Amino acid sequence: MTTLRFPLSRIEGHARVEMEVLDGKVVSAQFQAIEMRGFRYFMLGTPAEQMPVIVPRICGVCSTAHHVASVKALEDIFEVEPPQLANDIRELLLLGQLIQNQATSLFIFTMPDRVGASSIFHMDESEADPEQQLSLAQRALKVRQMGTKLITLAGGQFIHPIKAVVGGVTSGIKKEPAEQMLAELQEILPIACTLFDEYWEMSMAMRERIGTWGDDQPAYYIASTGRNRPAFNSQEIRVLGPNGTERASFPPRLFRNYLSYEETEYSYAGQSSYEGQVMRANSLARINLALAMGTPLADGYMQKLNQSFGKPAHPILLFDLCRGIELVYAFERAIEMLSNDLDYEDTAVPYSVKDGEGFGLVEAPRGPLIHHYKVKDGLIEDAEFIIPTTHNMLAIERALKVAGERYVSPQGINLELEKAVGRVVRAFDPCIACATQ
Amino acid sequence: MSSKPSLPRFAVLQLSGCAGCEVSLLNASEWVEQYQLVYMPLVVSTHAVPKDTEILLVSGGVRNDEDIWNLRRSAQIAKKVVAVGTCAISGGVANLGDRDEVRQMFMAQANRHHLPHLLPKSQPIDAFVDVDLYLPGCPPTPELFMAALTGPEDFEASSIVCQECGRKKLKDMRPKHLLGFQQGEVLPDICLINQGYLCVGSSTRGGCRAICTRPGHPCVGCRGPSDAYIEKESQVWFDRVQSVFERLTDIPPEEINEALHSPQLSLFLFQFTDYMNGNRPARPKEKIL
Ligand code: SF4
Ligand code: SF4
Repeated sequence: MTTLRFPLSRIEGHARVEMEVLDGKVVSAQFQAIEMRGFRYFMLGTPAEQMPVIVPRICGVCSTAHHVASVKALEDIFEVEPPQLANDIRELLLLGQLIQNQATSLFIFTMPDRVGASSIFHMDESEADPEQQLSLAQRALKVRQMGTKLITLAGGQFIHPIKAVVGGVTSGIKKEPAEQMLAELQEILPIACTLFDEYWEMSMAMRERIGTWGDDQPAYYIASTGRNRPAFNSQEIRVLGPNGTERASFPPRLFRNYLSYEETEYSYAGQSSYEGQVMRANSLARINLALAMGTPLADGYMQKLNQSFGKPAHPILLFDLCRGIELVYAFERAIEMLSNDLDYEDTAVPYSVKDGEGFGLVEAPRGPLIHHYKVKDGLIEDAEFIIPTTHNMLAIERALKVAGERYVSPQGINLELEKAVGRVVRAFDPCIACATQ
Repeated sequence: MSSKPSLPRFAVLQLSGCAGCEVSLLNASEWVEQYQLVYMPLVVSTHAVPKDTEILLVSGGVRNDEDIWNLRRSAQIAKKVVAVGTCAISGGVANLGDRDEVRQMFMAQANRHHLPHLLPKSQPIDAFVDVDLYLPGCPPTPELFMAALTGPEDFEASSIVCQECGRKKLKDMRPKHLLGFQQGEVLPDICLINQGYLCVGSSTRGGCRAICTRPGHPCVGCRGPSDAYIEKESQVWFDRVQSVFERLTDIPPEEINEALHSPQLSLFLFQFTDYMNGNRPARPKEKIL
């Protein structure tokens, strides 16, 4: 038995892949998260109301999702309903997160794979559109920055937001900053589209070179997005079967009836499954679970994807293309929302601290995120974080094994394997800081 | 960038943290034209800090034995080591686990035999290597990152956040209690302390441009104490915050004291001070940006 160990880069956090090969066959593929800080332990005893300020530090990439999920879990316990305007501002905050994350995953994490570069800062510019004044890296960072700006506007701080509070958000968005943001988004949207078009082209070329979009079998899909158009400040989780029929929908409170979770000895992250089946979360799941995007440009891209690959679509590298569709959607939807008045009513309702158990759900860029707290005497008695990346763990390992089988034979190991491992893992865009906390 | 070999080379080593510091660095996109990024696993596929690395930015705390190993090996290669963010400077949010019961649970339930081993607590990087520059913030702003890279000597900042905030302190608006988490509408232009918020900007080092307080969120002290307090123990800093509240409010001192010791604030307030049983020497203020 030979053990192949692949260190990973261009993903969030510290992880590696181990593959065991015997007689030219891949026996197992493990995705190992190799770091952990221990939030679920050290949150015990924290005053419940402080959670929304502390939990963004679980992950600087997904901070916004944790911030909002935390507030929603406490609202569930304290029995308060935020006003509509607060919900809208939270949605906007999550759209900012989506822009930042999808731009990072597309251009910084996975674009280099398409052209065989070690990073976007080391890419051969002959690949890029010669009409463009700015380098690829500069354009990508510009697009990504719009996400940060939107988070700052709707969330107060630029990485670890503070504006969502139990009962609502601290303030509305005044007309002038809203208009300024709107103008900037309108200016950068075409740049985002061009970059995504280039990305799509590069992906097609890579498909030609490697001969596959990812050969893994169909899977179940899990997301908390809307049926008719995407939703991120979400209320219920939905599961789609491999053939495209909806199998379940449930509020976060009931997640245990549908999902099982296991720890493993080889990773600091656990893995979850739906009725014992492999499932997938993240962009492809959301695109498969929503009928339309509801904005013109994103709908155009969605149709293009569905015409080429059907619905539900299954090949793994489509996760990446779906991120591009969502990037465009997030720009368009944010523009739409900022065109409305976001300062028309009180943004928070009063509450009193209560003891009890609560669940907060949002659709994070990587899938449905649940915070589950028990509060006693105003302090956290138990905190559980149900992380989207753990929903993808089994799917990642299965896809790695399939990739392994493609490149491992009794004659030897094809050097393309290391690249394939990187491509597969990055398609799922796992977040190790979150998965292990 | 391989075409710009003459540019200074910098590397980013991420230990156990949240990647927020890296996200902030990516927002400081100006370095793209001025530096050669030679190592940063989050965005570049390379597996070790290469020779001739000038500046090494280290983020995250030392949480497991692999962190120690990576830190020691990389620090020895680079000419200059910069500790970036609260985790690298004080161990960060994971220090909330610095309680015996939590630590025991953690070591018993969480540790995995065949993976990097967790340490009993999250440590600052200067417990293992010499640090040339500290860059506090959670995370530091893009502007601060650029200053750390291009010339910390030339960075101009006020000594405390108040001076960058611009809100007015009033003598005749004296709250009787802290507002806590139930926030009402925040009045523009008036100091948040006058409005009953626990803002510690009056003794927190400047340089962040008051990004929290200007839009109306009290400063939680993520940049740590100003130069006047940075080499002193935490009690001195507490006393200073207390005295500001005494001058501006009628809030009972016990109430302030209790709030200052809450987990949310202790995440940040104690960086640089003797919070962690302080057997290490104070960090000299000249080394702090
Ligand atoms: S105490 Fe806070 S709100 Fe008041 S002036 Fe200082 S930084 Fe601004
Ligand atoms: S205002 Fe205070 S909490 Fe906010 S960035 Fe500045 S130092 Fe940190």
